[in-house]
Amino acid sequence: MPAQKSRLGMNPQQGRASTNGYSRRRVDTMTGSKMENKMQPKKSASPNFGKITGPSRDRLIYVLSFLIGHHVEVHVKNGSIISGIFHATNADRDFEIVLKMAQVVKDASMREQKSSRDNITTPQLMIVPTRELVQLLAKDVSLDEFTKGHSNEKGKDLLIDSVISHSHHLETERELTPWIPDEDDPECPELENIFDGTLDRNWDQFEANAALFGVKSTFNEEIYTTKLERGPQMKEREKVASRIVREIEGQEAHDFHQAEERGFNFHDDLDEESRYSSVCRESNDTRFRETENTCNSEIFSGSVGVVTSKSYPEPSSTEVCSEVQALQNETLASSTSSSLDEDKYLHTDKDLGIYPVSDCNHQASDRITQRSPPLDGESRLDSNQKDQSDKIENIVQDSRASEGGFEGLSANGTLCNPSSSSQGDITNEPSDSQVLVNVSTAIKSVASRVRPGSSSNHVPADSAPNQPGLSPSSSSGSLSSEKSTLNVNAKEFKLNPNAKSFTPSTSARPQAEVSDGSFYYPNNVASLQPMHGLPVGMGVAPFGHQPVFYNPHAPPMQSSQAYIHPNGSMYGQQMIVGQPPQFYYVQGYPPIAAFIQEMQHKGRKY
Amino acid sequence: MEGSVGEELAVGCVLSLRTTLNDEIEGQIVAYDRPSNILVIQEGSSKAGARRNVRLLKANYIKDFTFLKKAEDPLDVDKCFIDLAGLQAREDAALRQAEIEAERIGVGVTSEAQSIFDALSKTLPVHWDKTVIVVMNEVRVSSPYLPENVTGGTPAANDRVKKVLELERKRLQARNSSQV
Repeated sequence: MPAQKSRLGMNPQQGRASTNGYSRRRVDTMTGSKMENKMQPKKSASPNFGKITGPSRDRLIYVLSFLIGHHVEVHVKNGSIISGIFHATNADRDFEIVLKMAQVVKDASMREQKSSRDNITTPQLMIVPTRELVQLLAKDVSLDEFTKGHSNEKGKDLLIDSVISHSHHLETERELTPWIPDEDDPECPELENIFDGTLDRNWDQFEANAALFGVKSTFNEEIYTTKLERGPQMKEREKVASRIVREIEGQEAHDFHQAEERGFNFHDDLDEESRYSSVCRESNDTRFRETENTCNSEIFSGSVGVVTSKSYPEPSSTEVCSEVQALQNETLASSTSSSLDEDKYLHTDKDLGIYPVSDCNHQASDRITQRSPPLDGESRLDSNQKDQSDKIENIVQDSRASEGGFEGLSANGTLCNPSSSSQGDITNEPSDSQVLVNVSTAIKSVASRVRPGSSSNHVPADSAPNQPGLSPSSSSGSLSSEKSTLNVNAKEFKLNPNAKSFTPSTSARPQAEVSDGSFYYPNNVASLQPMHGLPVGMGVAPFGHQPVFYNPHAPPMQSSQAYIHPNGSMYGQQMIVGQPPQFYYVQGYPPIAAFIQEMQHKGRKY
Repeated sequence: MEGSVGEELAVGCVLSLRTTLNDEIEGQIVAYDRPSNILVIQEGSSKAGARRNVRLLKANYIKDFTFLKKAEDPLDVDKCFIDLAGLQAREDAALRQAEIEAERIGVGVTSEAQSIFDALSKTLPVHWDKTVIVVMNEVRVSSPYLPENVTGGTPAANDRVKKVLELERKRLQARNSSQV
C-alpha cells in the first residue's frame, strides 16, 4: 500500500513547472495520502491534521479518486476546455486539477471553430488552478463502479473492432445516397419486372447461348427427368394431373411455408426471420425433453423428415419445429421399438404432434436413407422411446387426421416401413424391400411399426393395423392413386428397437469423423435414467452412420456420459461400415454386437 | 449563488441548472462540499450499469437552477470502494493509449497531411519524423506528399508506398468532393 500511495501521485516527468508554481511533488504526495485515507468515505477516523474532513468532503474525494485515469474535460473560467487524463488533485487544499497528456481542446479565445489540426499542441501535463476551474466533466463513467469499485470494470477487457482498427481517427462515413439506375436501360430490366412473364415459351436458352457465344449444348432433358410419353392418353393424364395439383395446392396447408407457397398468408405476425430463415430448434416441449438428454443414435432422419414433413397440418411454431427436429433426429427404430402404451398418445392433441415442414422440410427430400436397422433384441429405452413413439403417434394421428389432405409427400422421401415381419419379431431383418415414400404410408407404418415388439394391437385406430405385413406396397397402394411419386427403389425401413432417439445437443458439434475412431465426451452429462443403461445410441444407418459406442469406463454403466452421436446432426455422412474395431461395446449388450454386424452387413443396400 | 446552498446540500436531489458559461446541466447531486464549493452531479439515466457523465462544478458558477425532485442517495456509502491498483492500471493504460495516439499526430502538418498519414497507417506501419511520413522505417514521404515525394527504401517498397499513396489520395479527393 505505501508503494501505491507514493506511486499514485508521482509524476515521472520532472522539471515541468506547474501553472501555478506549485511543486508537483507536493501536490502529488498529498493527493496520494489523501486517497488512501479516504477509501471508506463514510469513516472519518483518520487523524485530523488540520485537514478538512467530513462526509461531504469524503464523498467528493471519493468521486475524484474514482476518476483517476479517466479522460476528463476541464472547463475553465475563460471558456476554454482542456482535455486530458485525470491524474491527481490537491484534495486537502483547494482541488487543483492535474491532468496528464492534456491539450486545450477548445480555446475560448478563438472565435471560429478551427479545425483541431491547426492548433495542435503536444500533449503535456497541465495543472488547472482552482480559481480557474469551472467544472470538471467526466463522460461515460460506469455507474456500477460507484458502488462496486473497479472490480467490475470490464472496459479494458473488451476490445471492439473500432478500437482495434483505430478507425476513429480516420475517415468518417460518407453520405450515402440511394442508387438510381440510369435511364431505363433495356439491358437492365427493372428489378420488379424481371419475374413477370416467367413462362416465355419462345425463349430457348440453348439457342440463345449458341447464338451469342457459340456454345453448343449437349443438354438432353430426358437425362434429368422422366420421359413423358406423349400419346393419345396424354390429355387425360394431364387433366388428371392438373386436378390433383389443384386439389393439393388448394388445400389448406398448416405449415406456414407451404401455406405461403399456396398463397395463404396467415402468419403475418411472424417476423421475417422466423418465416424464412430461422432454424428450428429444440423446444421446451416436455415430451421431448427426455429424448434431448438421451444419447443419440443415428436416426433415420431422412425418413423421419419425410414422415414429418408435409403431413402435419399445423402452423409451424418453434415448438413444432423442435419436435420435428427432435423427431428427425430420432431413430424411428427406437421409437417404434418401444412397446409402450402408444394408445394414450393417440389421443394426444392433434395439434401437438405436428411436425411442420418448415425448415426441416427440405431434409426430407434429401434424406433418402433407408437402412432399416435390424430390430435386435428388445432392449428398450424407456421414456426415450416413449417419447419417440409419442411423436410417431402424433404423426400417425395427424396424418390420419389429415388423411384427406394428402400432402404431396415428395416422392423422394423414404418411408420407414417396419412392415413385413416386424410385427412381433423385431429381430427379423426385413429384407431390403422397396421403401416407399409416402406420408400416410409412413404413418401407417409407423403405427404398426411403433409397436415393433408389441404386436399390432397398438396400432392406432387405423383399420389396417394388425396386418403384420403392412407392406409398403399395400399401404402405398392405397395412396398410389394420389401419389405416384413413391420411390419404388427406396429401401424399406426397418425399425430398430434398440436405437435411441438422437437429440443434438446445442453445444456439441462434433467435428471428428467417426471413421477416425474418435470418441468424444458429450458436453452434457445427461441423466441416463430413461435408458436401460445404454449410454449410447445405436444409429439407424439410414445415412450409413455407424453406431459408435462410447464408453470410456466400461464397467459402470451409469457413469457413462450422455453420448452424442458423432455424426448426430450431420446428415449424409458416409457410413463407417466395416470398422467394427471402433466400437466399444457396452457391457452386457450383446445384441448390439449383433446389430452392428447386421448394420455392416446391410451396409449399402439402398 | 450561495443562497441556494441549502438546497444543494441535499444529496440525491435532482436539479436542472445553468452555469455562467451557459452550460445546461441536469442531474442528481452526488455530493456537495461546502468548503471548496464543489458540487458533484451525475447525469444520465438511472439504470444500473449505465454510463453517466459526472460533473464537478464549482457552485459559484451556477447561474440559476431548478429543483426538480428529491431522490435517494445515489451512492451507497457502505459499498463504496476504491481499488487503487485498478485505478493505477487504468491510468497507465490510458496514458499509454494517449501516447500512442499522440504519436500519430504530426505537429505542424496540414490536415491533409494528417489524413494521408492516417490513410497510410491503415495498412502500413508509419510514423512521423517532424513533417515527414516515414513508412516501414525506410520510405520517406515528404511534403507535399505526392507520389513524387516518395523516396528511399527498396524499389519494391518504394513502389508499394507510391501506389498506396496514389490510391489514398484519390479516395480522399473523392470523399472531399462528395462532402463539399
